[in-house]
Amino acid sequence: MIDLLQHLVHGVSLGAIYALIALGYTMVYGVLQLINFAHGDVFMLGAMMGWYASSRWTQEAAHPTWFGAIAVTLVSMAICGTTGFLIERFGYRPLRGSPKLNSLITAIGFSFLLEYGGQFVFGPNPRAFGALPVSPSDQFRVLGVSISYIDLICVGVSVGLMIVLNRIIFHSRIGTAMRAVSWNPPVAALMGVNIDKVISFTFVLGSVLAAVAGILFASAYRKVEPLMGLMPGLKAFVSAVLGGIGNVQGAMLGGLILGLAEQLVSSYVSSQWKDAIAFAILILILLVKPSGLLGKGTAEKV
Amino acid sequence: MAGLFGGSALQRTGRAVRSWLPFFAAVPILILIQEEIALNPALGLEYAFQNINHIGIAIILAVSLNLVNGLTGQFSIGHAGFMAVGGYVSAVLLMRGPQDDPYRIFFVLAVLAGAGAAAVAGYLVGKPSLRLRGDYLAIVTLGFGEIIRVIIENTPFFGGAIGLSPIPHRADFAWIWAVAIGTIIVAKRLRDSTHGRAFLSVREDEVAAEAMGIDTTGYKVRAFVISAFFGGVAGAMSGAFEGNLAPQSFTFVRSFEVVAMVVLGGMGSITGSTIAAAVLTLLPEYLRALANLRMVIYSIALIALMLLRPRGLLGTRELWDWWREWRRARVKPAERPRREATEALIDVKGATIRFGGLTAVCEFDLEVRPRELVALIGPNGAGKTTVFNLLTGVYAPSEGTIKVMGRDTRGLAPHDIAHLGCARTFQNIRLFRELTALDNVRVACHHLTRESIAAAVRHGSLSEQEEKWIVERSEELLEVMGLSARRDELAKNLPYGEQRRLEIARALATGPQVLLLDEPAAGTNTREKADLMELIRSIRDRFGVAIVLIEHDMKLVMGVSERILVLDHGVTIAQGLPRQIQSNPKVIEAYLGEKYAKEHAAQIAAAGSQS
Repeated sequence: MIDLLQHLVHGVSLGAIYALIALGYTMVYGVLQLINFAHGDVFMLGAMMGWYASSRWTQEAAHPTWFGAIAVTLVSMAICGTTGFLIERFGYRPLRGSPKLNSLITAIGFSFLLEYGGQFVFGPNPRAFGALPVSPSDQFRVLGVSISYIDLICVGVSVGLMIVLNRIIFHSRIGTAMRAVSWNPPVAALMGVNIDKVISFTFVLGSVLAAVAGILFASAYRKVEPLMGLMPGLKAFVSAVLGGIGNVQGAMLGGLILGLAEQLVSSYVSSQWKDAIAFAILILILLVKPSGLLGKGTAEKV
Repeated sequence: MAGLFGGSALQRTGRAVRSWLPFFAAVPILILIQEEIALNPALGLEYAFQNINHIGIAIILAVSLNLVNGLTGQFSIGHAGFMAVGGYVSAVLLMRGPQDDPYRIFFVLAVLAGAGAAAVAGYLVGKPSLRLRGDYLAIVTLGFGEIIRVIIENTPFFGGAIGLSPIPHRADFAWIWAVAIGTIIVAKRLRDSTHGRAFLSVREDEVAAEAMGIDTTGYKVRAFVISAFFGGVAGAMSGAFEGNLAPQSFTFVRSFEVVAMVVLGGMGSITGSTIAAAVLTLLPEYLRALANLRMVIYSIALIALMLLRPRGLLGTRELWDWWREWRRARVKPAERPRREATEALIDVKGATIRFGGLTAVCEFDLEVRPRELVALIGPNGAGKTTVFNLLTGVYAPSEGTIKVMGRDTRGLAPHDIAHLGCARTFQNIRLFRELTALDNVRVACHHLTRESIAAAVRHGSLSEQEEKWIVERSEELLEVMGLSARRDELAKNLPYGEQRRLEIARALATGPQVLLLDEPAAGTNTREKADLMELIRSIRDRFGVAIVLIEHDMKLVMGVSERILVLDHGVTIAQGLPRQIQSNPKVIEAYLGEKYAKEHAAQIAAAGSQS
C-alpha cells in the first residue's frame, strides 16, 4: 500500500511535467492543426539553457539559491519563448497555406536542428544539472511515504502555471482571440483578430511552459543532454492526444494519466517497458476514441 | 473478345515474362560486373562497391517509402522499424538455416519471410492509424520504430543491445542491385496503373476520392503494407550484406534519412527518390570532416527545401516523363454493358439528420427514377447539400432509410455508394488539383477496373487492355464536356467554369446511373448558364443517367428540370412540376418572406379576376 502511494506520488510529479509540455502541443494544434514536432526539443532547450545560465555563464550551480533558481528559469523561459517565436515566424508562417505535410517536415527539420545543433554546441554527453538548491534526495515523510521536495516543486509549479494558463485562455482578451482562431481562423480574422499575432503568442506561451518543464525535469533527474527532449516530447504528445488534442484541460488530464501509467508500469512490470506503454496507450486511444477523452469528434465539412 | 480477358493462361504468362524482360536482361549484366569488377582483387574496388551496395539498399528504402509519403500523401517516419523487422527475422532464419546454400534458395525464402513479417507489422500499425486523417500516422510510426528497437534491445533471442552476428554473407552486389531494380520496376508499374492513380487521388483530396468510388482507407493501408514489405526486404539485404545487425542502426535517425531522401527527390517521383538515395548515401562519405555537422546540415537543407521548393527537386515528375510524351498508343474502346434499372434508382424514406440540437434535414422523402431530371431548391442553409451528403454516405441518417439501386446504404462508405452507381460533384469544387484533367477522369474509372495490384505489377495483358479502355473513355468524356484541349493541364490551372465541367466529367466516369450535381452553375455568367442547361440535358440523353440538381438559379432550374423539390430549414415544403412550384405560396414565402408572399398572392388573385 505504502509502495503504491509512493509510486503514485512519483507518477503525479512526472505527469505534471508531461502535462506542461503537452499544453504546448495542444495549444499549437488548436490554432494551427499542426503537430509541432520541435516542441519536445524546445523543452530540451529549456533545460540546456538552464544549464548554461547556472553553470557556464554564472557559478550559480555551485551555490544554488532560490533567487538564483528563479533567475535561471526566467532566462531560460526568455530564450525558449524567443526560439518558439522564431520557429513559427520563419518556419511555419511561410508555409501556412501549403499542404500540411510540408509544415510537418519543416517541424521535423527544426526538431533535428535543435537536437543535433545542441549536440554540436553542447556535446553529446550528459552534464550534471543543479540549479535548484534542493536535491532529489531531500525528502520528508508523510504517512510512511517519502516525498522529495523536487516532486513537490514540480507539482506545485505545474499546477500554478496551469491555473495561470486557464485564466489566460478563458478570461483574457488574447485567450478569447486564441479560442476564436482555433474555431475558425478566417472568421476570426474578419472579426478583427490579428491571426499572426495570436499564433505567435501561442507559440511563445507553449515554449515558455516547455522551458519551465525542462528546468523541472532536469532538476528531478539532475542531468541535461541534447536528446533528452525526444522521449518526453513524444509522451507529452501522446498525453495531448489522449486528453483530446486541441483541448487544454485534456492535455492536463492526459499528462497525469500518462505519468501515472508510466510510473506504475516501470515499478510493477519492468522499467524497460516504460517507454512502450505510452505508445500502447496511443494506439489504444486511436482505435477506441480517436478524438481523445475530452475531445469532440469532428466531421469534415464537404 | 478473348483479348479483354487476356487470352489463354499461356499467353498471359508469356506477356508477363516479356514485360519483365529488361529485368531478366539486367541480371546477367549485374553478375558479370560482380565477377569481373567487384570481385577482382587487382582493381581494389572493395570500398567503392561497399558504397555502391549501400546505395542499392538506400534505393530500396527510399523508393518504397515514396509509395506512402510521396504517392499516397501520408507521412510515415518509422521506416527503420520495418527494416529492423525484416532484417532480424531473416537474419535469425539465415543463422539457423543450412550453412550451404548454393542456389540461394533458402536466402530468398528468408528474405521473403522477413519482408512478410514487416508487411504484417505494417498492417498492424497502419490499420488503426490510417483510418484517421492528418498527422497521427507520423507519431504512430515514430513510436513503432522506437518500440521495435526497445524490444530488440531487450530480447536476448535477437542478440540484445550487442546485435546479431555472424549472419551468413549471402547478399552481394548482384543480389542487392537486382532487388533494387526490381523495386523500382514494381513501384513504377504501381504508379502507372489505375491503382497508382488511386494512391494519388488519396493524396490530393480524400473526400473527392471517396466520392469517385475509391476506398481511401483501404488504399492507404495497401500502400503502407507494400512499403513495409520492401522496407523489410531492405533490412534483410542489409543484414545479409554486412554480416551483422545491431539495434543502433535502426534508430529514428535512420528513418529520418530515408524521409530526407524522399523529400529531397520529390514527393511521388520514383526517379527522384532513386537519385536522392544515391546522393545522400555518398554525401556523408565525402563529408567525413563534417561528420558532427551532418545531421545539422540535413535538417537545415530540409527546412530550406520545404520553404523554397516544397515539392522536392523533381516534384512529382519522372525522368522518363520527358521522353514518354510522344509515344502514346490509341486503341478502340471496349464497351461495357449497362445495367438498366427499372425501379427507383434512389429511394429515400423519412431521412432525418441532426447535428447536436439542429435538425438539418427532417423526414426527407425522395424517389428518383431512371432518366429523371429532378431539382432540389431552397434558400441558403435549407439542407440541400446535406441531402447530397446523406445520399452519398458522407453522413449517416439519424433516422429513416436511404436506398440506392435498391440497396440500403446503412453502413456503406462513400466509395461503396459510388460503386452502386451514384456519383456527385461538389459545391466547392474538389478536383485533384495536382493531377491533369485526364488523370482526374481516369481516377474515377478506377472502380470499374478489375486488375489486381499484383496484375499491375506483373503488367499482364489485362492491365494494358484496361488502361487503353480507361484512356479512351476518359478522352471521350473530356470531349463531351468540351475539355479535350485541356487534357494534359493540371486541374488547378483550369478556369473556374472548366473546373466545374471537369468535375461533371469525373463524376460521369464512375459510370453512374444517378448524377448528383451540387450547384453546377455557381459563379458562371448568363451565357454559360444557358450552355450548361443544354449540357445537362444532353448528358441525360447521351449517358441515360438520372440527374439530381441543386441550383439557385431559378431560370436554369425551371428550364431544365422535370420535377422540383423545395427544402426550407430541412423540411420539404413543396414538390411538383416547375409551373406548380413557381406559383406555390409556401415557396415564395420561404424565398421572399411572408409579407412579399401575401402581396404576391394578392397580385395573382387580382390578375386572375381580371382575366
